[in-house]
Amino acid sequence: MPLSRTLLADLERIVGAGGLVRSYEGRLVYESDMHTFYKGAPDVVALPTRTDQVVAIVRLCRAERVPIVPRGSGTGLIGGAMAPQGGVMIGLNRMDKILEIDLPNRCATVQPGLINLFLTQAVANSGYFFAPDPSSQMVSSIGGNVSTNAGGPHCLKYGITTNHVLGLELVTGTGEAVRLGGKVVDRPGYDLTGIAVGSEGTFGIVTAVTVRLLHAPEAVRTILASFVAIEDASEAVSAIIAAGMIPAALEMLDEMMIRAINEGSNAGYPKDAAAVLLIELDGPLAEVMAQSERAAQICWERGALEVRVARDDAERALLWKGRKEAAGAVGRLAPTYLLQDAVVPRSKLPTIMRELIAIGARHRVRIANVFHAGDGNLHPLILYDDRDPEELERAKAANEELLNACIAMGGTVTGEHGVGLDKAKNLPLQYADADLNFMYRLRRAFDPETIMNPGKLLPSHPACGEGFRPARPRVPDGAWI
Amino acid sequence: MTSAFRGPDAPDVEEIRKCVHCGICLPTCPTYRVLGEEMDSPRGRIYLMRAAAEGRVELSETFRRHLDLCLGCRACETACPSGVRFGSLLEATRAQLRRHGPPPKHRLLEAFAFSLFPEPARLGAALAAFRLYRASGLRALVRAIGVLRLAPTLAAMDALLDEVPRAGPLPELVPARGRVRGRAGLLTGCVQRQLYPQVNRDTARLLAIAGYEVVIPTGQGCCGALELHAGLVDAYSARARTLAASFPSDLDFVVTNAAGCGSAMKEYGNRLPELAPFAGRVRDVIEVLAGAELPLGRLDLTVTYHDACHLAHGQRVRQEPRELLRRIPGLKLVELGDSDLCCGSAGVYNLLEPGIADELLELKIARIAETGARLVAAANPGCLLQIASGCRQRGLDVTLVHPVELLARAVDAHTS
Amino acid sequence: MSVAGRSVGEAFVAIAGRDGVRDDVPARAAAAVDGLVPRWVVRPASLEQVSQVVALAHEAALAVAPRGSGSALELGCPPARLDVALDLCGLDRVVEYNPADVSITVEAGITVGALAARLAPHRQFLALDPPGASTRTLGGIAATNASGPLRVRYGTMRDLLLGVRFVQADGVLTWGGSKVVKSVSGYDVPKLMIGALGTLGVLGELTLRLHPLPDAERSWLVRLPSAEAAQAFVERVVDSSLQPNRLEYLGEQVLEAVFPGPTSSAVAVSIGSVEEAVVEGGERLAALAKAEGAQILPVPDAFWSDAERALTPSEGEALLQIASLAGRLATTQRAIVEAVRASAPRARVWTSCCAPLGTVRVRLADTDLAVTTAITKRLRDEVAEIGGSVVIARGPSALRAAVDPWGPVEAGAFALMRALRDDLDPKRVLNPGRFVGGL
Repeated sequence: MPLSRTLLADLERIVGAGGLVRSYEGRLVYESDMHTFYKGAPDVVALPTRTDQVVAIVRLCRAERVPIVPRGSGTGLIGGAMAPQGGVMIGLNRMDKILEIDLPNRCATVQPGLINLFLTQAVANSGYFFAPDPSSQMVSSIGGNVSTNAGGPHCLKYGITTNHVLGLELVTGTGEAVRLGGKVVDRPGYDLTGIAVGSEGTFGIVTAVTVRLLHAPEAVRTILASFVAIEDASEAVSAIIAAGMIPAALEMLDEMMIRAINEGSNAGYPKDAAAVLLIELDGPLAEVMAQSERAAQICWERGALEVRVARDDAERALLWKGRKEAAGAVGRLAPTYLLQDAVVPRSKLPTIMRELIAIGARHRVRIANVFHAGDGNLHPLILYDDRDPEELERAKAANEELLNACIAMGGTVTGEHGVGLDKAKNLPLQYADADLNFMYRLRRAFDPETIMNPGKLLPSHPACGEGFRPARPRVPDGAWI
Repeated sequence: MTSAFRGPDAPDVEEIRKCVHCGICLPTCPTYRVLGEEMDSPRGRIYLMRAAAEGRVELSETFRRHLDLCLGCRACETACPSGVRFGSLLEATRAQLRRHGPPPKHRLLEAFAFSLFPEPARLGAALAAFRLYRASGLRALVRAIGVLRLAPTLAAMDALLDEVPRAGPLPELVPARGRVRGRAGLLTGCVQRQLYPQVNRDTARLLAIAGYEVVIPTGQGCCGALELHAGLVDAYSARARTLAASFPSDLDFVVTNAAGCGSAMKEYGNRLPELAPFAGRVRDVIEVLAGAELPLGRLDLTVTYHDACHLAHGQRVRQEPRELLRRIPGLKLVELGDSDLCCGSAGVYNLLEPGIADELLELKIARIAETGARLVAAANPGCLLQIASGCRQRGLDVTLVHPVELLARAVDAHTS
Repeated sequence: MSVAGRSVGEAFVAIAGRDGVRDDVPARAAAAVDGLVPRWVVRPASLEQVSQVVALAHEAALAVAPRGSGSALELGCPPARLDVALDLCGLDRVVEYNPADVSITVEAGITVGALAARLAPHRQFLALDPPGASTRTLGGIAATNASGPLRVRYGTMRDLLLGVRFVQADGVLTWGGSKVVKSVSGYDVPKLMIGALGTLGVLGELTLRLHPLPDAERSWLVRLPSAEAAQAFVERVVDSSLQPNRLEYLGEQVLEAVFPGPTSSAVAVSIGSVEEAVVEGGERLAALAKAEGAQILPVPDAFWSDAERALTPSEGEALLQIASLAGRLATTQRAIVEAVRASAPRARVWTSCCAPLGTVRVRLADTDLAVTTAITKRLRDEVAEIGGSVVIARGPSALRAAVDPWGPVEAGAFALMRALRDDLDPKRVLNPGRFVGGL
């Protein structure tokens, strides 16, 4: 349904002509996030610069029941920042200021469009950093990180975005700007900040974020261990975790991925290995030295071909550069791929890797792997050519089978990318009707009309989730008079 | 759905498809930094190209607008993990727009610019007129009556040029000093020759000291980069062939000191395979000097370095200029934040899109001010002009130099 | 629909068995909350039974108060109603523990002590040390968001709770979160349950992130002349490469109780890591202390439990929890001392502050209702401008009836909290009246 002329005029009044993208061509480029499999262009894109503009836009849209889709840098992998039902997209890219850096209290307040890495760059000279480091950190926005509760390689030790968010300013689906949490911890009341982080824009639009800053560790050691078999590498991961270490990061790459990255970055990953582990330990120097020796020893015991420690910051940066660019470098392997984000309990890593290889063979698809092995968070990239419909079908079948295998091992549908449009249909694998119904009700408290990013995060169901209402437990007979 | 692109030299669809839409290019893109809009980002522009190739969009006015706004800095190529060659996609798309698209917005202005810059003689004449205008006090009068405000582009040009040096001729041959390492041709460039003649002189001198016999053909003409970037591929091809033919074929290198020219010349082979051998010999002066021994004396200076887009992104020469400058005893090199973000000059972009160019310049100057350096080195005349004028207008006491000028002064310091 | 009390009791028996339901006076009196005596004390043996008990209470519009060890019943407003005391201590099993996953799923009635015993052979632990932890249940700790000095390194329940199974107000058994260390599938429901005092659901089963026990751990006490000097020292430590497990500022009275000496302020630090890193950390800490002209002494592990005891209020005393900022440590300390001096010069006050976070525990003794009320209000004014809070974590019923134990909640956020509560528990079955704003 196209937007009314008055709505468009009102939007233009709020953000100005320069803040509104109305052209067909302009809207078209907003039809996808990184997951271009899903396309849905908004009817208009608004680019506000202030919270009061966001409030005004939401109120307008609420009055006319027009869907709203928030968008940061559009680097999501789940079909989250796109508009399957059209409506108004709110691009937060012009709200990209650092509002306050408060080093004595080790926190900062920023606008949602600020690029993740820019915050760390702003405080690095003072010895601090912002811990969440999704591989997209050089481009993804902090608002987007909050929205999807983004993880990253270093969340193994430091936790994901939610562990670093102290407070939010949120414009809810009713067009109220509310302050949740703040610099001071332990606020009385429900942890609305905690529930809003990761709500993927279905509660409203985040217009400011207060985050925790951490002091940079004294020492960092990055170890690269290569293996002849992916199973050996998986065993090494489990053994490192079981040995009582919490590395800052513990990443695995398989042969196909190593090749693609080497072509792009020349990151110096060993060419003849079937799997590479990137192990990073940080903290006090003495701890890092002791633990990195222990980790290296474990790798040797599990049959490592080579174990090498990055000699300096430059080499360390290069090893990480390749890892961070992995998703992009896949373009060198195949034009399109399906990307999984399932998690298995870490002790199940060797089992799931064997299963994954079998699934790939069964469906005759190439699967490249680059993932957060330390958390058991898989990122198999199932490659296909979108011009070959038959191959796409095989890729989809492999994808579903793999997901089911992960859930059967006690895993989760998505570890860090989020649900979006892509995985909403998979949530029932993990949650019963009662669980989903509870989530619907949470959403309703923030957005009674379901105008905020509709169709995302929760599976669609007739009667807006009421269909998920579960049966109440049976009360014993004879209790009633 | 048929492609909106037509003809044999349509943008390469396979190249377009290499883009996996990751967006890593976004923060490195100057127009995205200024506008914060997807369609004015590399990912958005590639998406538009793809949509055109798939017949989802026409080569419309809006399509053209978003492609025109690109500065062609190619920072996105440096950022791209999938190795998409955005520059060649942009050139091809602009060529398509020339042939099949709507007319450009700044047609007259562009025509004026293209009649001026690639023609050193005309540029020289224009600058002579400019000197006259300056000397006669007409400038003050023009400013006073506000004509410049009516024509922002003329204002931009007026602001760029503070004092216009007089270009003296260079000899056709400069002999090597000491042990001869080889023969190098020197491109004198259109703007460089007229506005920064000392850079050409220093380049020739340093090459000679480095052991090269320097050949400087008189009728060499323009490299054609400006026309290529504007999609005027026929004019570009003609210029490229003429230029290549003007240099002897037995040179070890053809050396440039203008990043934009060097970047275009190194890629002659992409469109004109017969020029591939010539293109293979093209080097930026910094690359050549990086491999040479220079007798450098002490210069107690604090310098910051701005990466010219077509050197850093177009030619991937980033470390060499820094290393060269650090070789000068006493010279302290401070890193410039966002050093490889375009300054807004971008060929004739600052004349055609002064608004965006100014915002970029503003950002650049803020970063320069943060360094505290009084000297900014940059290896491209467009950058030198743009940044110098920006600093002047904002009252920042900073001098712009080409790295070869600093090297030449260091050589002087050594001999004295 | 009206329900006869007798038959409801029979229905509880049908669910939880004869042994699981008590309606005798002593049992009921023992389960009283703020003087309100429940009609039944029900102790279910399984989560399914919890679900059925709550469903029945919901049908009959009865008020249910879930309880674990009963150690935190003085947190919150006095209940509006109380019919069923739901004793969850029978749910004390380990549901799933695979040490290699470094996580565990337990029933909510298990105590920290029992859990620690189970984990110790694998050199793992749950990094939560609220006051009296060993006998407290994990469900209770989650529902009250209790924490201790270890939060400096390991965070609080919100950083450790991965998944939660709970019973909604209508008895529906519900699961949120996941059993793996990292998940973003759906809303982060466990966060909502933490500190909600059971008002959105009765916690039944928790999946928790564990940590490896450090190889070695040692503690030190750094004596400083003033709170200002202590704050400066803390800033040095935080800005250094040290990675302490605990970094706690201790006020005069606590020091007197645990480590009598000439100074009025001290910072207690513990470091846990591999042996060599602990030794080196101790040396660096000593160097930092020396630079500040402070005295540093090694203290035994028991120091921490001694300090804890000094902070534990006796019957009739009050415990305030102040949330301020790290950068205001000294300011807050001074405000506490002045508030006490202005209201009741003879009152005694013990303070302990998680220094890098600015959260303070204050034990008040020898005060009366009016004095504690005045102190609370004065401190609330003090932290209002930074969005801080002062919660009465323990105190007599009369105190919590006289002054809102939670303090003000921002209006916009409160509207959302009310909307949630209204939607999820419109009949106010779960802990009615106890939470913020009387929710």
